[in-house]
Amino acid sequence: MSFDLNLVLESLPQMLAGFGITLKLLLVSGSLGLVLAIVLLLMRMSGKFYLDWLAQIYIYVFRGTPILVQIFIIYYGLPQFEAVRDSVFWSILREPTGCAILALTLNTGAYVSEILRGGVLGVDKGLLEAGSALGMSARHKLIYITTPLATRLALPAYSNDVISLLKSTALASTITIADMTGIARTIVADTYAPYEVFISLAIVYMIFTLAIQKLFGLFERYLSRHTRRED
Amino acid sequence: MVKQSISLLAIGAAALFSTANVSAETLRVGMECTYAPFNYKTADGELAGYDVDVAKGVAKIIGAEFEYVCQEWDGMIPALLANKFDLIIASMSITEKRMQKIDFSGPYRFSTGQVLGARKKPMELFDDAGNPIADNFKGLKVGLERATTYASWFEEKLPGADVVLYDNSESVYLDLQNGRVDIIMTNPMKAHLKFLSKEDGAGFEFKGPVVDEVEYFGVGVGIGLRKGQDELKEKLNGALKDLINSGDLESYAKKIFPFKLHKDEWGQ
Repeated sequence: MSFDLNLVLESLPQMLAGFGITLKLLLVSGSLGLVLAIVLLLMRMSGKFYLDWLAQIYIYVFRGTPILVQIFIIYYGLPQFEAVRDSVFWSILREPTGCAILALTLNTGAYVSEILRGGVLGVDKGLLEAGSALGMSARHKLIYITTPLATRLALPAYSNDVISLLKSTALASTITIADMTGIARTIVADTYAPYEVFISLAIVYMIFTLAIQKLFGLFERYLSRHTRRED
Repeated sequence: MVKQSISLLAIGAAALFSTANVSAETLRVGMECTYAPFNYKTADGELAGYDVDVAKGVAKIIGAEFEYVCQEWDGMIPALLANKFDLIIASMSITEKRMQKIDFSGPYRFSTGQVLGARKKPMELFDDAGNPIADNFKGLKVGLERATTYASWFEEKLPGADVVLYDNSESVYLDLQNGRVDIIMTNPMKAHLKFLSKEDGAGFEFKGPVVDEVEYFGVGVGIGLRKGQDELKEKLNGALKDLINSGDLESYAKKIFPFKLHKDEWGQ
C-alpha cells in the first residue's frame, strides 16, 4: 500500500469547497444553541419547579441519546407524518441543512446550558453578598456580577463544546449534506483511496480546531484582563 | 460483573484467534445485507436473496466455506482492498472504473438502471431514442446512492443535474416518498418488486426507459476480488458457468421474478 501524495493535493481543494457548509453548520447551530442554552439556564435558575423540571427533562433527553440518532429521527423520522409534511416547518425540515442545524442546535443547547450552569454555580457567594451590601438589586447582580464572572468560568468548558460541535457537523454528511466530510466520502467512493483522503480531511479539521482554540484563548485573556498581574 | 466481563473477554479472544486461523477454504464475502431482493436479512436474521443464493451455489461448487460480512456500499471496494473480506457478492456491476482497482468474475446478472418519479408530476426526461434531455432535468432534485453506476451515469451524461448523494438505497426511496427529491435512478427490478408494486410506491412510476449502456453499467453484475488471484478467479468463473448451465441460476431468479436475470451465453 503506497501513499499517494498527489491524491492528497488534489482532494484538499475539493474538500475545502465544503468548508463553507461546515462553517455555516457550526456558526448557525452554535449561536442558536447558545441562545437555547441561556433559555434553559434561566428556566433552571427560575426557582419555578415546573420550568426547572422541563429544562431538566429536555437536557436529559438530548444528552442521553446519540446525536446521530437525533439527526436520523429529525431527517428520516419526522417526514413519515403527513402532518409534518403539510406544516409550515416543512420548508426547514425538507432541507437536509435545516434538519442538521436543528439537530445540532437542540443537542448543543442541552450541553452548553449545563456548562453555563457550572459557571453560575462557580461564582463566589461573597461577591454576591458584597453586591447586596452595596444595595444592588437581583437584576443588577445578575448583569454586573454573575454574568461576567460565570462567562469567564464557563469559557474553557464552552470552547471544548464548540470544538466537539465542529466534529459533530461531520455527521451531517450522513443526510446527504456535502460538507467537508460528505465531499471526502464522495472522493473516496470515486478513488477507493480512503487512507489519503481521510488523512487529509483529518488535517483540515485539526487546523480548524486549532483556530477555534486560539480564538477562545484570546477571548479568555481578554475576559481575565483584570486578574492578570501587571509586570 | 467481573466474571461476566472475563467471559466476554474470552469470547472476544476466541473470535480474534478464529479469524486469525482462517483455513484456506474459508472465504469472507462482503455484501450490503440491506439490498432486497438481492441481498438482505429476513425477519429471522437469515441472509437471503439472489446474491446470497449465488454465493451459496458458488461456495458449494468450489468447495469453500463462505463467511458473510455486512458492509455499507460506499466502503465496499476499500474494505475489499483492506482485506476485510475476500469477495464482493453484492450486485456490483463490472465497470471499467472499478476494474482499475479490483478484478471481477464473469457476469451473473444484468446491470441496468431506470429513473423513477411521482405519477402526478408529468416529466419528459428521455427522447424517443432513449437519450436523456438535459433541459428537462433542470430544476429536478435527483436522489442517487453514492458510488453506484447510477451516480457515474448522471455525472457523465447530465453533469449539470442537481444530484443528492445517499449512503444506501433505502434512504433514496425514503426521500423520494418524503418529497425531498423529485426523481431517483435505481435498479428497475428492485424498484418494481420492492416499491412500485407496494402501497408506498403506488404514487410513483418509471419516468424513462431501462438504461444499460455497457460504458457505465458494465457487462453485468459480477463477483469482485482483489487483483492477482487468477486461480481463484478461474474457479469462480467455472462455478458461475456451472450455475448457468445447470439451470440453478435461473431458478434463483425465478424465486423472485417471473424471468431470469442472465444471458445463457454467459455460460459458454
